[in-house]
Amino acid sequence: MEETPVLAALESGVLTLTLNRPQRLNAMSQPLIEAMIRAFSRARDDAAVRAVLVTGTGRGFCAGADLAGSGTGAVGVDGKPDVGAVMDRLYNPMIRAIRALPKPVVAAVNGVAAGGGANLALACDIVLAARSARFDQAFVRISLIPDLGGTWFLPHTVGDARARALAMLGTSVPAEEAERMGMVWQVVDDAALMDVAGKIARKLAAGPTRSYAAIKDAMNRAGTHTLDQQLDLERDAQLELGRSADFKEGVAAFLAKRPANFTGR
Amino acid sequence: MAYEKILLARDKGLATLTFNAPERLNAVSRRMIAEIKTCWEELAADDQVRAVLITGAGRGFCAGADLADPDRDREASATADSGAALEKYFNPVIRLMRTIPKPIVAAVNGVAAGVGMSFALASDIAIAGKSASFLQAFARIGLLPDGGSTWFLPRLVGDQRARALAMLAPQIPAEKAREWGLIWDVVDDAVLMATATEVARKLADGPTMALARVKGALAQSSANDLSAQLDVERDYQRELGRSEDFKEGVAAFLAKRKPDFKGK
Repeated sequence: MEETPVLAALESGVLTLTLNRPQRLNAMSQPLIEAMIRAFSRARDDAAVRAVLVTGTGRGFCAGADLAGSGTGAVGVDGKPDVGAVMDRLYNPMIRAIRALPKPVVAAVNGVAAGGGANLALACDIVLAARSARFDQAFVRISLIPDLGGTWFLPHTVGDARARALAMLGTSVPAEEAERMGMVWQVVDDAALMDVAGKIARKLAAGPTRSYAAIKDAMNRAGTHTLDQQLDLERDAQLELGRSADFKEGVAAFLAKRPANFTGR
Repeated sequence: MAYEKILLARDKGLATLTFNAPERLNAVSRRMIAEIKTCWEELAADDQVRAVLITGAGRGFCAGADLADPDRDREASATADSGAALEKYFNPVIRLMRTIPKPIVAAVNGVAAGVGMSFALASDIAIAGKSASFLQAFARIGLLPDGGSTWFLPRLVGDQRARALAMLAPQIPAEKAREWGLIWDVVDDAVLMATATEVARKLADGPTMALARVKGALAQSSANDLSAQLDVERDYQRELGRSEDFKEGVAAFLAKRKPDFKGK
């Protein structure tokens, strides 16, 4: 029985979620995913939370589904294994919760991010990786396809050619190469990772939250929109934001050449 | 409309549009965006114009919307609607830039911030001077990127970098922008205008219909699956195969001479 598969701590508007099964490189058990889903509901509903930081305890970020434990699901109604059921109930709701959260999510990838663990990282808005971290689309080695959004994130971050190669060859990508490809935002020295990630998360937590929510929504929808549709979306979102307290404050601060004091409203 | 905030010059098929409020780093006032819109309408309707070069006067390319513009204040306080300016001016300009059947080259001579960066990204070929920089400034004042940038960014640099650029609003130097594929090329400041003009001149002397169909096909590719895109290519190729420029291009190729395209 695991006690706390995910540690949650709220400070300065940042909800830090730490995957906490270090003995398994934070492989995802069902209780771990359930805890993540609960944590993202809290992040959504609690106005004191203005940004989320996801990281892992120990050497790894997340080794993917816990194949030795409860991570791969059960037997379906036809008597055959049904990996899809657990994805429907747990993995996919977690990824959807991250993408739909109207607040920015930062990942501090402190070590190996493999399989579903890699795609959990890529689902976050801003991914920072320790220099020693690796991103590993391991699925093909066990005859699966990249899941938790991997087949969407890869072509949308590194382009079609690299996406196909990574998914088919299961190549492990070192952090620096991941940064060069645009798979992650920034590589940081291992020792400085949590410091840099904390700074960025606190900056976002002190920023115009509604603006970030609108950016997430716009980016989420950009993939299937024509430019024409996206221009209309921007118009509608800008209309809303233009009536926010943070916009008023942002313009006033800009004109007065002082730092803005955003409240997230 | 007599232009005050922009300059428009024409030279044998090449039109050059210069943002001209150098004292404001070419920040876009209501007056300027109205002129820009009229100018694109004029260029779209002018068959003599076969390519457009855009650039900025002075140190900057375009610093984005002019937050200190008194007209903007009046309008905003009257309607409290920052979507209205997009609907009336900025979005029509971006739509015109993407649908005008002629290539657009941007010579980014300095800072391109906010919607100024969107103007650069909406161009077909953006070339920046080494000292230029790019900035999605919107989040700094509680807005989201507009002028199509929430569409351009993920397609140019991918979903991950797009989110970071929009949320963290970092200033991106020209070299980095090229490395990431935000823009086509970077050249020394001293040769920027000569280089960009040469590229735009080449396009103005090129097979205009084909260049227009390139724009059309790429516009559709982002929302099409491959099968639908193959059909688009077939249809455009059929049409281009009946053009005078295609006939001239093949004849010149076979005769090993330079083609003399007319844009027909």
